[in-house]
Amino acid sequence: MLVRLTFGSLLSAATLILAGPAGAETLNVATAGDQNMVDYVKDYLGPMFEKTHPGVKVVAVGTGPGDAGSQKIYEKLSAQKQAGAAAWDFDVVVAHQKMAGQMVKEGLLDKYRAGIPTGALVTRDTAENALGADVGGFVMPMFHSQTAIAYNADMVKTPPASYSELVEWVKKNPKQFGYNGIKGGMSGVAFVTGWIYAFGGNTDRLLKGPYDETTKAAWDKALADLKDFNRNAVITPGNAGTLDMLNRGEIAMGPVWVDMFYSWQAEGKLPPSMKLKLVAPGMPGQPMYYAIPAKAPQTKLAAEFIALATSPAVQAEGIVKRFNWYPGIDAQHLQGKLEPATWQKLFADITPEDLSSKGKPFPIAPYFNDILESYEKKVAN
Amino acid sequence: MDRERPSLAGFLLVAPALAMVGALFLYPLGYSLSAAFTGPDGRPTLAHFGKAFELYSGDILFTIFIVVVSTAATAAVAIAIAGILVLGRPGRAVALLGWLYRFPLFIPFIVAGQCMRTFLAKNGLMNNSLVALGLIDPGQGASLLDWRGIVITFVWKQVPFVTLLLAGAMAALDRATIDAARNLGAGRVRTLFDVVLPQVMPNLTVALTLSFVTMLSVLSVPMMVAGSQPTMLTVDMAFRINAYGDYATANALGVLSYAMTAAAAFLYLRHGLRTGVLR
Amino acid sequence: MTTGANAIAGPRVRSLAASTAGAALRGLALGVFAFAILGPLANLVLWSVAERWYTPFKLPVVYGFRYWEAVFRPTGDAMASLGTSIEIALLTVVFAFALSIPAGYALGRLRLPGRVLLLILFMLPQAFPSVAIYMNVARIFYTFGWTGTVAGVVAVHTVHGLVYSVWIAAAAFAAIDRDLELAARNLGASAWRTFLTVTLPLATPGLMASAVFIFLESLDEFTGTFFVGVPQVSTLPLLLYNASMGGNYQIASITALILLVPSILFMLVIERFLNPQVLSRIGR
Repeated sequence: MLVRLTFGSLLSAATLILAGPAGAETLNVATAGDQNMVDYVKDYLGPMFEKTHPGVKVVAVGTGPGDAGSQKIYEKLSAQKQAGAAAWDFDVVVAHQKMAGQMVKEGLLDKYRAGIPTGALVTRDTAENALGADVGGFVMPMFHSQTAIAYNADMVKTPPASYSELVEWVKKNPKQFGYNGIKGGMSGVAFVTGWIYAFGGNTDRLLKGPYDETTKAAWDKALADLKDFNRNAVITPGNAGTLDMLNRGEIAMGPVWVDMFYSWQAEGKLPPSMKLKLVAPGMPGQPMYYAIPAKAPQTKLAAEFIALATSPAVQAEGIVKRFNWYPGIDAQHLQGKLEPATWQKLFADITPEDLSSKGKPFPIAPYFNDILESYEKKVAN
Repeated sequence: MDRERPSLAGFLLVAPALAMVGALFLYPLGYSLSAAFTGPDGRPTLAHFGKAFELYSGDILFTIFIVVVSTAATAAVAIAIAGILVLGRPGRAVALLGWLYRFPLFIPFIVAGQCMRTFLAKNGLMNNSLVALGLIDPGQGASLLDWRGIVITFVWKQVPFVTLLLAGAMAALDRATIDAARNLGAGRVRTLFDVVLPQVMPNLTVALTLSFVTMLSVLSVPMMVAGSQPTMLTVDMAFRINAYGDYATANALGVLSYAMTAAAAFLYLRHGLRTGVLR
Repeated sequence: MTTGANAIAGPRVRSLAASTAGAALRGLALGVFAFAILGPLANLVLWSVAERWYTPFKLPVVYGFRYWEAVFRPTGDAMASLGTSIEIALLTVVFAFALSIPAGYALGRLRLPGRVLLLILFMLPQAFPSVAIYMNVARIFYTFGWTGTVAGVVAVHTVHGLVYSVWIAAAAFAAIDRDLELAARNLGASAWRTFLTVTLPLATPGLMASAVFIFLESLDEFTGTFFVGVPQVSTLPLLLYNASMGGNYQIASITALILLVPSILFMLVIERFLNPQVLSRIGR
């Protein structure tokens, strides 16, 4: 009791003195993903929005890379919902597919898309469906990204064009290929998922369902082969770990996110001789979503913010030109907003045809979990 | 030590601190424990532990291996440094050592992980320096970014802490016994192991216990320094939650990690009681 | 005469050679040790000024302060976060003192049944992997509206660092010479006055030592801050964590170097209090 009292009074005193800038005109944006996502909001989008909305301050918070970052957003919102809070902490959240699906299911998000002018600019399937969960109306894609195999063209003259060729290549060049397993970030997960698409069979069903829990039994051979494959591969620490080893020339090849790859190269952390290859039958990619929490304090401002962020001009200048992402809205709306050179740079190594034929989504959520857990059981442990 | 008053007052003094631990640790821990032992149907179950063992048996052993090896290595290095600081011939070398060893104390684990992953890599700064000095041939250096990297990072980070406590304890000893041993012709090493170390064993145990539990709960180092197969339980817990939203198994892993802590606490307790310092 | 001189000089020369070899060996060992301690840190400094660095180059290809400028840019909030971090760390020290001075006194001086168990209890928050706990703490805090406040973050950091503050405070009080207190009492000082004017000042060095650890622990903390503080309260480790996990080495290195500044300053202020008499009693 005494503690409660002293603690309480200390607390209220401290809050009085130290209360942060949580005034009425703050727009809190929480974004999962790497640092570049936070920078994008902080340096580019935020100032632009503040200019058109005098008196509003945009505060961006990063919650960490990968699904872990989205998970933290989910946990925060879920905890606030369970505690019965009247207004939640975030006005806009940027999350990955898996968590977006779950947040929609648990009623944590607002159905705002029909109300913003840019809502009609996206027709891609991923705006409606996130790993099998119906998210139509609740999300706007911020951008799409894609995984691919990065390789050092000085060390590898003819890169493998498919998973089978990659297996042969790794046999001939042991410890020259590295990926980050499945616990260190999504590029490794994407590589493993692509492996199942290549050798597990029935990709269509994994992508569209319906879910059948006996499907995973068919992956045993593919996973045993992967375990074998791992003997000659290097397991790197994280998405950044793979790029890092490519940077120092310790491995010659590894799966990476295309946008991270271009950013690292632009920042001088990868040799200029590095190139990308999207191998057959394909590797997964995914969008990041803008969403508004169901009890966001500033719903209207949040919607305006997202409308700005998904406008063709911002998508062209910010998403494509500055940050090397593929646009979130349909590409034809960007025509005329970009110089051809910028557009071509984005598609230099991976052509639009490659992207449409070999850029796959991740499987529906239950299969996704099955792939990860089967890997843990049969490959990692 | 005489503690004169067996008192209720004592408990009242401890109560505020205890209440904080209760409210902000034990109470939330209760949620975790109940999640670990409750099935989806609300009945008590051990299924989550079954799953934890099925998927992570390798990682459980790996975790024990890492923390035990790191603790042992930390102990060895800390004893050596503290011994030199206290028994070594006073001079510039010893003063320099005393100044140097503390640096990593101020480095957060996450920074330590960051430093080490570019330092210990195959073409990292360490191997490059060795090549430049002509000690190894180019291309001969090995990557230490596996269990060795984790152990090195832990030892690097924990040695200053343990040394600080150990050297403090040694400096507080009665110099007479040390001088007597030296006068009787015992070498420095023998004096350290036969005379000094037995007297500061309790301090060493305390410092190592704290190191042990700290290392068990660090996420950033195994995540950043080594690949994920095998890895430590903290990484598995985070993965369980982030990839599957599976708190039950994550909490079961947490309980296992706690069991290791309990083992450490037990050693601390037994040692303390045997040497009488805890009475 | 000559033979005699030789007889004396011989061993001396030999011992001189031996001591030179010994000194060289010591120097070498010290060099290796310095490399082991400072090498990783040198790496940090190098990365902070590397603008381009990739294989096959062993050292950065282009040096520059571009990333320092990026960290200190107007929209970047490194300095504000640093301020918040230091503020939280200092408040944590104060709050931890408020709890651990009475607790430490009781554990160090009074006869308490189950004393060892109490000591172990304070160790527990340090030991449990934190994600699971902080999630639940956040859940509890939301019901009271304590999230997003500096005070909430301070409370969480305090519990985490309590093992250091309580254990060390107990050691500090146990190390005090009773006779001084008795003398004060005999001169007619009240128990309370004796505590304030004699006991507490004598325990100060030990308490200051514990302050170092609490301060560092708070400065290092990430998970609890995220769950309890974000978005209103943002600290430097949060920034560092994102930059580091995302492989943004320059930003991470610079952030890490900034984070070192308060740690080292704090240590310099407090170092003279790190007294062997107290350090030797921690946890006993």
